[in-house]
Parts: sequence; C-alpha cells; structure tokens
Amino acid sequence: MINRRAFISRSGTALGATALSGLLNPSLYGTAAASAGTHFAPKAKRLIYLFLAGGPSHIDTFDYKPAMRKLHGIELPESIRNGQRITGMTSGQKAFPCVAPMFEFKQYGQRGAWVNSDILPHTASMIDEMAVIKSLHTEAINHDPAITYIATGAQQPGRPSLGAWLSYGLGSENANMPAFVVMISQGRGQKQALYSRLWGSGFLPSRHQGVQFRSSGDPVLYLSNPEGLDRSTRRAQLDVLGALNADSAELSRDPETIARISQYEMAFRMQTAVPEVVDISKEPESVRNLYGPDVMKPGSFAANCLLARRMSEQGVRFVQIFHQGWDQHGSLPSKLRLQCEDIDQACAGLLKDLKQRGMLDDTLVVCGGEFGRTIYSQGALSADNHGRDHHGRCFSTWLAGGGVKPGMEYGVTDDFSYNILENPVHIRDLNATILHCMGVDHRRLTFRYQGLDQRLTGVEEARVVNALLS
Amino acid sequence: MKSSRLFSVKTFVFLVLGLWFVPQGLVCAAGGVSPDFNRDIRPILSDKCYYCHGPDDAHRKGKLRLDTAEGAAKVLGNKNAAKSELLHRVTSKDPDEVMPPPDGNIGKSLSAAEVELLKRWVESGAVYSKHWAFLPPERPRIATQPTERLHPIDALARRRLTEEKFSFNPPASKETLIRRMTLDLTGLPPTASEIAQFKTDTSPDATQKLIDRVLASPHYGERMALLWMDLARYGDSSVYHADGPREMWGWRDWVIGAFNANMPFDQFTIEQLAGDLIPKATLAQKVASGFNRNHATTDEGGVIAEEFRVDYVVDRVKTTSNVWLGLSLECAQCHDHKYDPISQTEYYRFYSFFNNTKDGGMQTRNGNAAPMVEIPDPEADVKLKLAQEAVNKALANLHAAGQPKLKGKVFSDWAAPKDIENAKPFPVEGVVMHIPCVESDKTILVSSLEGLNASTGGIALAKAERAGTSGLTLAGNVSAVFDGGPQLDGHSPFSFSVWLKIPAVSGSASILTRMKTDATYRGFDIGLENGKPGLHLVHQWNGSALKLYAKDPLQKDTWQHIVLTYDGSGKASGVHLFVNGDLWEMKVQADTLSASSETDAPLVFGGRQDGSRFRGDVSEVTLWKRELAVNEIKDAAQSYIQALRYYPVDLRTETQAKALAQAFLLGQDRSDATQRTAYAKALDAELKSRKGLSSVMVMEDLPEAQRRATFVLSRGQYDAPLKDREVKPGVPAILPPLSSEGEFDRLSLARWLVQPGHPLTARVTVNRIWQMLFGEGLVRTSEDFGMQGEMPSHSDLLDWLAVEFVESGWNLKHLIRQIVSSQTYGQDGRQTPQTLELDPENRLLARGPRIRLQAEFIRDNALAVSHLLNPKIGGPSVKPYQPAGVWEEVALDTNLSKFTPDTGEKLYRRSMYTYWKRSSPHPSMVTFDATTREKCTGRRSRTNTPLQALVTLNDPQFVEAARAFAQRVIRESGTSASDRVTFAIREALGREPRSREVEALSELARTEFERFQNEPEKARRLLSVGEHSRDKTIPEQEHATWMVIANTVLNLDEFLVK
Repeated sequence: MINRRAFISRSGTALGATALSGLLNPSLYGTAAASAGTHFAPKAKRLIYLFLAGGPSHIDTFDYKPAMRKLHGIELPESIRNGQRITGMTSGQKAFPCVAPMFEFKQYGQRGAWVNSDILPHTASMIDEMAVIKSLHTEAINHDPAITYIATGAQQPGRPSLGAWLSYGLGSENANMPAFVVMISQGRGQKQALYSRLWGSGFLPSRHQGVQFRSSGDPVLYLSNPEGLDRSTRRAQLDVLGALNADSAELSRDPETIARISQYEMAFRMQTAVPEVVDISKEPESVRNLYGPDVMKPGSFAANCLLARRMSEQGVRFVQIFHQGWDQHGSLPSKLRLQCEDIDQACAGLLKDLKQRGMLDDTLVVCGGEFGRTIYSQGALSADNHGRDHHGRCFSTWLAGGGVKPGMEYGVTDDFSYNILENPVHIRDLNATILHCMGVDHRRLTFRYQGLDQRLTGVEEARVVNALLS
Repeated sequence: MKSSRLFSVKTFVFLVLGLWFVPQGLVCAAGGVSPDFNRDIRPILSDKCYYCHGPDDAHRKGKLRLDTAEGAAKVLGNKNAAKSELLHRVTSKDPDEVMPPPDGNIGKSLSAAEVELLKRWVESGAVYSKHWAFLPPERPRIATQPTERLHPIDALARRRLTEEKFSFNPPASKETLIRRMTLDLTGLPPTASEIAQFKTDTSPDATQKLIDRVLASPHYGERMALLWMDLARYGDSSVYHADGPREMWGWRDWVIGAFNANMPFDQFTIEQLAGDLIPKATLAQKVASGFNRNHATTDEGGVIAEEFRVDYVVDRVKTTSNVWLGLSLECAQCHDHKYDPISQTEYYRFYSFFNNTKDGGMQTRNGNAAPMVEIPDPEADVKLKLAQEAVNKALANLHAAGQPKLKGKVFSDWAAPKDIENAKPFPVEGVVMHIPCVESDKTILVSSLEGLNASTGGIALAKAERAGTSGLTLAGNVSAVFDGGPQLDGHSPFSFSVWLKIPAVSGSASILTRMKTDATYRGFDIGLENGKPGLHLVHQWNGSALKLYAKDPLQKDTWQHIVLTYDGSGKASGVHLFVNGDLWEMKVQADTLSASSETDAPLVFGGRQDGSRFRGDVSEVTLWKRELAVNEIKDAAQSYIQALRYYPVDLRTETQAKALAQAFLLGQDRSDATQRTAYAKALDAELKSRKGLSSVMVMEDLPEAQRRATFVLSRGQYDAPLKDREVKPGVPAILPPLSSEGEFDRLSLARWLVQPGHPLTARVTVNRIWQMLFGEGLVRTSEDFGMQGEMPSHSDLLDWLAVEFVESGWNLKHLIRQIVSSQTYGQDGRQTPQTLELDPENRLLARGPRIRLQAEFIRDNALAVSHLLNPKIGGPSVKPYQPAGVWEEVALDTNLSKFTPDTGEKLYRRSMYTYWKRSSPHPSMVTFDATTREKCTGRRSRTNTPLQALVTLNDPQFVEAARAFAQRVIRESGTSASDRVTFAIREALGREPRSREVEALSELARTEFERFQNEPEKARRLLSVGEHSRDKTIPEQEHATWMVIANTVLNLDEFLVK
C-alpha cells in the first residue's frame, strides 16, 4: 500500500505537489473536482485567452472617438505627452503628427459603443456580450518586456505564466488532457517573437507549463508511436512495463514508480484523446461556418478558436491562443486590415458558439495584446498610409462570458487615447480579475520561492476590478 | 486531504511540523528544553511577521520591529506569556486585533503548534540569536564510541537518526552503488566490465578505487559543468527579443576543464567573477569572466539602452548572490529586504561592483557583443589549414593551366604593349599590395602579390564603371578576408591609395583593415567616418593609438582619388591626406601611439571583421611600404597593373611578373573559366572555415576616467537615481567586512566571497553538492539561506562539510570523495514502511538516494547503452533531432529562426552540448524539467508526467537508440530469448535480471516476432527511424522485434532512476 502523503509531498519543490496537477491521473487522487478547491465560487470554470501579440492599435479598434477626426495632422501637444518616455524607434522623430484612424467606425449595441465597422464588423456585432476595458496600462514600452509582463507578471523572465498558475491552483478537469494548452497562429502583419516562457512554469513544477498543440506533425510532440509500431504493440509493451515496474515498486516502495506506471497509461490514453479533440471534421458545417472561411485551414486563428472551444468542452482549464503580427509600425491601414480579417469572424464565432451551447456563462474569454499604439504617426504620415509606435499608457482589451458584466465599457482615455482619465486598470489588475473570475484570490494563490510567497500579481498592489464583474 | 493547491500552506505546515518540529517539540517539552530561536522561532516570525515588522524601514507598521531583540522587547511580556502583546495578538479572535491581519498581504494565521512554540519561547526568556547562516561554520565535535571507526558524515547523520528513532538502511548492492556513483559523478552509466570488475574486487579499498576512477574520468568535469550551467544561466542565444545566436561555449569548456583539473573552488570563484581584473590576466582567466556575460541581452529596436544596461547589472547581482551567498539580494532592489537584514543602500553597494562594465544596454541579435576575446578552436584550425591548402592548390592549378597561355601571344601583347607612348607614370617602387578591383565571375576579388589569397564568401560583386579602368560596387554586406599580407606596425612608413565613389556621407566604413575584435582593437583601420577619410593605428584602444580623420567629407556620387601617407614617426603629425591630389586637413582624435600595432588578426578589405562594411564603388587599392613623396601623389592615381604592363620586362621582379600573370589569368583572360571557378570555390570554402574560430564575451571595466557613479535607484527604476544617495562598492553589514581598505572592485568582491570564515560561500556550495547527490540539499532551499529559507536538516553535518571543504583548500573532489565514501550515501535506496510513513522525503537520511535522472542524463544513458554515444568533450553546441517547426513557430526571422538538425556524429553528443536557444529550448529536455536558463536556477523541479513517457517511447532519438541497442543485443548475446533479455537487462540496468523480467520480455519478443512476420512492412518502417546505419545482416523482423524489447527496457522505471 502506497502512502498517499508520501506521494503528495514528493514533488521536488519546497511545498510539495498537493495541487491537482494537470496531468496526473485523478484515480490516484480521487475525483478531480477542482472547483471544490477554489477560494470562492468561480463564475468561470475555464478560460480562453485570445492573445494578439505585437500590440494591436486600440485607437483603430475599440478606443475611437469621433473628435479624433479633428486632431488629424496636428502635432501631439506636449501637455498630452507630458514628458513621457517613448521608444527608441520614434524618440528621434522631429514631428509627432496625430493620426485619426483611416477606417470607418459605427456605434454598436445597446450602449452605442464605437467599433471599427470596416474591419471588425463581426466582433462589433457581439459588443453586447463584451466588457471592453479601455484603460488597461503597462509600464513596458517594448515587446519582450511587455509581453513577458502581461503573461507572467514580471518584465524579466523566470516567473510562471498565468496558465501555469491556474494549472497549479486548479488542476485539470480531464484526466486525458493537459490543464493548460497553447496554440499559435501566424498573422500577416509585422511579426514579433514569442517565447516559451510566456506559457512556462517559471519556478513552479514544470508539469504546469502550457502544452503546445501544433497544427502540423503531431498535435502534441511525440504523441504518435513510431512508424510501424502499432497501438496493439504499444499496449503489449505497456502491459509488460506496468508489471515489471510494479515489481520494482514492491521492492523499492518508491511512490514515484507507481506514479510513473499511471503516467504511461495516461500517455496511452492521450494518444487517442488528443487526436479526437483536434479532429474538427465531425463538427457540423453550421458550427464551422461561425468561425469564418479560415476555419478549415490548420493552424489558422479561426481553426484554433474552434479547437479552443472543443478543448474547453473537454475540460481543458485554460486555452491560450497567440496570434502574431500586430506590430504595425508602418502600413497600418493595410496590415491591420489583414490582421483583423484573420480574427474578426472567429472571435465573434467563438462567442456565438459558446453561447449556443450554454458554455459562455461559465467560460471566460479574454482578447487583447501587450500594449496599444500611439496616436501619432511613426514615420511619415501620408494621405492613406502611416504607422504607429508602441503605447503602454492605455490600451484596450475585451472580456466576455463567465463572471463578466456583458455590454459594458470600462475606463476613459483622453481625446488622444493617450492618457487615462478614469478608472485605470493595470495589467496586474486584469490578471487579478481573471483569477477572481476563476474563483481564485490572487493574493492567496502563492508559491514559496526564494523566501517569498510568490504570486502572479507580484509584490506591487493589484486589485480585482469589481465593476467588471457580473 | 483536499486536493487543491489553495490549501497548501496549511498542508505544508502540517507536513513539515508533523515531521520536524513536533517530534522535536515533544522532546523539548519532555526535557524541559526551551525552543531554539534559529530552528523554531525565527521561521515563524519571519514568515508571519517580518513582512510588516521586519528589516524594511519604509514599510514597517506600528513602529514595531520583531527581527531584533530590542525592537521586540516591548511585546514579549518579559517571560510572562499572559502579558505578551505578541501572543495576545496572534491568538486574538477579534478580526481587528488578530495578527497577521486576515485581509492583509500575508493572510496566514499561526497554527496551534506555532503558538505553542512562541509561548514557550516567551516563557523561557525570548532569547534572540543571530541567524545561523550568518555565523561562521565551526567543525562540530563528533562523539563516537572508541570501538567505532565511523565516517564523520555517518556519525552526524546517525546522531539525528537515533534522535528520531530511525536507523540506516543496509548498504546498497555493489551493482547499485557503482551505477549510482557513476551516474552521479559522470552522468553516464558504468559499463558491464566496470561493474564486473568492481563486483569481483573484494579488497577493502575497492570503493576507494572506484571513487578514484570515477573522479578521474573526463566526464566528471562535464557532469559538474552541467550543474554549473544552470546556475550560470548558460545559453547559446541572447534571450531577449530576437533571441539570436551567441557563442559562449568557450566559457563552458573552460568550466569543464576547471572541474576536471579540480581547480580549487576559491580560484574558480575569483576567475569567473573577476578573471579580467587579475593582474596580467591570461586568456583563460578572461574567458572565465564570461560567467557574468551569460545573462539575457536585448537587441530590440525601440529599447532605451540604459534600462537594459541596468537590467544586466541587476541580473549579475541576483546571480552572484544566489550562487555564492544563497541570498536573494535582488529583493532589495526596490526597497529594503522584507525578511533579511539587507537594506536597499547595501543592495546598491553590491550593485556598484558590476556597474562599471563596458558592455552596453543595446547588444546584438547576431553573435557576440564586445567586450570579447577570441579563442582558438583546434578543430577550426585544422579545417582552416586544409582550406588554405586547397586555395593554394587551386591557385597553383590556375597558374599551371595558364602556363601555355602565359607563353602565348595574347598575354605578351597585353603584358608588354607596344604603345609605350601611352604609359602613365606610377610609383611602382615599394608596392606591397594591390587590389585592382576587377570583376571576375562575380565571385572573387582579384588580389595580387606574395601569396595573398582573398575570398568574398561567394557574395556577388558588381562591376562599377570608372573612366579608364574598372571598379567594384560593394553593397555594404560584403568583405574579403585575406590570408597573409602586409602588416602596418605603426613605426614603419606606408602609403595607401584608393579611388572611391560613395552614395552617402554617413556611417563608418572600413576599406582596408587588420584589427582585433577584442577590447584592445589592436591593428590598423583605413576607412571613412561619415564620409571623411582617415585611419586608426592602435596598440591598445584608446590609451595607445593614433586616430585621424579628415575635417570634411568626400563628395557624394563622384569618383575621388584618396592617398594617405605616413612617415612611421608614431605621431599624428606624420600622417597626411590627399584628395584628388590636394592636401586635406585632418582632425586628430588620438595621438598616443606608444607601441606596435602589429597583430595576428586577418587582413580584411571592404569592412571590419565584425561590421563597418563599406558601401559604394572602389577601385585600385594600393599599399606601399614607404611614404610617397608629394610629387608622386598625383601619379598614384594611375593603375599599378597598367604601369607594370609598360614596365620593362627585364626589370620586373618575380613578384611583379607574378602579379601581372595573375591579373591576366583572373581578370583579363576569358578563354576558360574552369580554373577560375575552382579557385573561387576554394576561396569561398576557406572563408567559411574561418568562421569556425570563436570568441567569448568577457567582463571588462571602463577606464578610470569613464567610471559611472552608482546611486540608489528609487524603487529600483533605472531612470530614477537618487542623486543624494551615491554609494561606493561594499557588502552587507550583516556579513564580514571586505578584507582590505581602499577602493574595492569586482576582484575584491570575489576574494571576499572566499575569504576564511565567510559564513555562506562554503555552506552554500557544499549544500549544492549534497543536493546534486541526494536530490535535496541539507538546506532544502539551496538558493535561500536567509530568514525565509528552510533550516538545515543537519546543521552540524552542513558545518562539518563546509569546514572540511575550506580546510582542504576548497577541494571539490575531496569534498565529493568524503560524501560518496560515506555509509550514508552508500545505503540502499528503498523506502521502509517507517520512512514511507514518517520521512518520505528522506530528510533524515535513513536511506540512499533513489531519484529520477535529470533530463540530460536520461538521453545520455540511452545513447550510452546503445553505444551510439559520441563521447567528445566540448566545442560548439550541436543540434540533435528535434521535431520540425518548434523554433519557427516562435522565432523572429533571424539566424536562429530555422532549426536544421545536425547529421552524423553530432546527433549523438552528450545532451549538455545541445544548442540551447533559450526562448525555445529542446522540447524533450524541457519535458524532463530542464530549465530554460533565462535566469540563474539552482534547483530544478522533478516531475513525473505522461509527456515524459511520450518522449522516451516515441522521440526518434530514443527510438533510434532502441534500434541500436537491439542490434547490440542480437550481436553480442546468444540466440535464445532468455539470453538476449538477460543481456539487455544487464547492460541497461547494470544487474542480473529477475525471472519475471526474462519471462515477460521473452514472451513479448515471441508475440512481437509473430506480429512482424505477418506484417514485414511494419518491421521495415520501424527500423527506418534514425539516420544511424543498421547492420543489414540482421533479419528485419528479428531486429524490429528486439527493437520493441529494447524500447521497453529503456523505459523501465529503473532505467530512468539512479
């Protein structure tokens, strides 16, 4: 008989692995009723984060003001910039001409929110499901620090990602699927790098790192048996392995050996569970159509959104999709159009699909990037072309579904969408709010490392934005 | 127990107190002994109170300080628990009174056991003592029975066991011991013959002989280096933003060598932290200082360089303090440390040791950033020699094939023209180098004179038109490297002439240069700065150098003739510049040349070795080893080769004749391209092999005059120095002072870390070695010996090891020998019902270590057993199999965006040499808990997941290893299934098989053989995994069958653990 406490405490970490670890077999730990372990009743059981990497322009999407048209071409007033630092890419510019969006905007939903009707018509049609934060802000002004910051709570590498914290705190609902899945799609605009640290486990046990699902080759690395080795052979191998390892366990009394037997069994089950979940061929056409024409293109944002829904349905706690290409330093009018074309219908489709299944009530969807972009043009401003530099002083992100008040806007920025006038939301506050929706108190989800009870939101003040909560 | 992390704090208290404090507490209660402050009380106060009532002045609440006796006196009740405000507050039921505040940042209330300990401590007089880790270690007294000859380690371990009513496990079997020790100290398994030899050696010193042999293995250095690479955050890429390539393997190889040579750890410390500052530092010592260049660096276009320069300094403080002090100094970057007595001011004193290095905030996405040193790469030297021989041969072939032509009329008409009246005067005397800049098949640059070979690396050169002669257009991305050629030593005269046409007058561009890429910049450089011609002659930049550039730039878009002359005086006044024959004024920027500028760097045309590429048109590059007279300047605008053509044949020197011949064969003659193409190819190959030379980034401080003052940064912000709080280098007051007076630098810091009596360095180091061998340190928080770190499980043992280590002369092999010779280490690893129930984590050391191998050794083990392993030590990192797309999905389009696996022997190198791209490290290794090495990591997690099973079952590296192992099984054992299984188990696990193993695996072999007989195609497909060739004499179905068995054996739990 294996002592369960021994099991639990053999984690190789200071605290021991008492969390429901995403990939452990629940039969060893009792039912994986993870929600029983939350700090308070969760509004959202699962999370889908559509991360737009590169810094999508808030001005050209959700933080438009009609009065901006009058600002077009004028020099950004010093009273607005107010001596704030800007990146090395534009700090040497002689002029900072403001640019009104080169797109059409319309008012949508019950509150008449302005949204880009040119390139986000589908998303705009779902505005009454969404809470749009217009006053998100970050100190970082460059990609690497900014994306690391929003994804892990610190600008330097080394900390666990949001998903790793969720895996650590809440575990998985499905014994055959990881708790935290990551998928990547390439955009068509200027691309920035991603880093495995964005879904890494930092100082948490590495089983909490996001498992990347891929659109070509094995959906999960090394999932397939070698060529020529059948599933029946694999079964026979595992039977022998199981029996011989059990003999070893009897001699050594090592609980890890018993655990290893079950990990091999779970690997075997994953070999069928994963291909099933990524096979969208059996999805009805009516459902696939919700996500737009790209949905049948493996690795597209649309395909990943549909997969995210399927995984959520299967109990994957957190699916994070990274869509690249949002770094519009130049050619913004054409490149942003391509980027939005990639995501517009899929975002709306995901919300509709979740809603029609009754899943939107307890699935939180978040969509946004690591910072926004400047009102002023980077480089020359011409009649139909311009770029925008990075802007962390305010940017927009929307949330929808479990735990979030639908059809609202939060935070107000100035006429230049440059500074926040009301209700600032730091990216730490966003992370605290996401955890809150998942039933987790960001102050209490901690892990002792280097003498400190570390947490996602770090040591600085972070608050849950109650006004956003339903 | 709730299976949720959210209740983990309580779980933890339960587990830890259940195992540690309660039994000891009971002993205490029974014996009436008061709680020990360091062991029992400080952990509670630190964890629950110091956040608000600790060392941080700025954040202290209610003016109450509990980390000092004076501060706490007023709430301790003077031995009367009932009067203690402290006890009142921690037990209060009133939410407004109770501490810690329920809604505060701590949010953790005290357990009943903790309250009880505090109460008894108060009643016993509330004695404070200095934190144990800040007191110097003392060798503990070891009382053993006179009849016993116990190893001190065993005496100390047993003392604790006896207290807790445990006893040692019996010794491990010899097979287990040799396997454990060999894996622990080399990362590789013992061979069958090594095992057999050890088993049959019944001499009393058999184990000592084993230890000798293992410690002498060159793989020992590799194993130790791997431990160090995690701490040193070693990687082959730059981490931030583009995460481009860098080359630090020269540093890694230094580490391997240092461990193998058993360099004393104090020296090892000093050379890595301050090797560059050691007087007359050797190349190896400079390379060692690369330790603190391994950190992440950025290349992101928009960054503010100072922000990242500060980031690098912060990283060095963190790494240095984590690695040597076991303290999280980094917590005091923004405010005083919350738990440890380290103020923000002290943080910046420590920081200032690292705040004067030369490297900048903005670095590169492509290679190493200065300061760096070049390192010889023996392998590359061999390749380069071969390539150079090939070039010489190709050139000889070209001349040989050209001999008939050189005797022909076409040549003689060209080389000795009759129209002598068209001859132009030219200073032929003293020419030592000439590049006519004739476009030749758009691949090579024609050079001439004295065995000078050049290459452009196959980049096309366009022909540029210039009236009267030819030229080349250099696009700003090409340079030619020459083998040999003239030196400009600074004390001999020379003259240089060139025709240029430039499209812009910005940036710096070199035309002809021979200059080191290390921090000396020794050599010469002739070129343009913002369009202004000039030169550098450097002995040591910038203390001994000449630098002059024109006051005005050249004209854009027009051909101009430039001549620089130098009289060899070593003075700026000896340099003259002529443009189109007119003397131009120059601006002297350095005039301190005091010694030779001769260097072993190669001669480069069109740019420096590492950049400064020339963009524009160039023609007629000529160098004389003499100062041209003023009346020769105008003539120098003519062509050397043209002049030679009209030069009397009988007066031509052999060199001049050869120059003409070569110019003809390469540039003039168009009759047959075969030899020219072969020559071009050879040159190209030669250039590529030059790239095999490597460099290492090193530490180097700014010269005195450019030193930065260090200020406390408000809230740690790079742009918020507090100008009234300048600090000088220093160490935290809680630790011993720096041992000498005067100005302190990194060298002082390094020496301080290893000075006698330092309380931390030796303890932290021996603990890390213990962790390597036992899976956990005696102090489990091996990176944190501060207040929040865990207490050592065996303080006396830790101190014994620390003192022994220092007294042995910081001798690591001695330390390791002590540990692995002990009975404690040599115990059987199995759990007993008692350990499983009461000490599952082996904190009491009642059994030997039985833990899963680390990522690298799992793969190495499979490669070793299958005899695929390539045991080569050191050199550039390699790229073994990796699934397609892993890098491409995340990378920017840079040099590291595409992963191309190596082939051949490089696929089977030890895993520590796997190319470590830190934004996307090798997935199989990461699955087995390898860290990304973006930051210093002292402890890896050790998880157990299904993804790991998928790696060892399906990763082609492991599948191929199974195929090769199966081949061994078939070739090296008998023909019966039981013979083969026996062999496989012996080889893989180092022991005799159990009957059940023979039965089950033989039966599996039988059924699999049937399966493959029915489906032979599947056998063929299975055998196709991996590029290593197969012994085709083995029937496919038989080989595939045993491959399945091998794959099974290589996945046995026992294969994966030590």
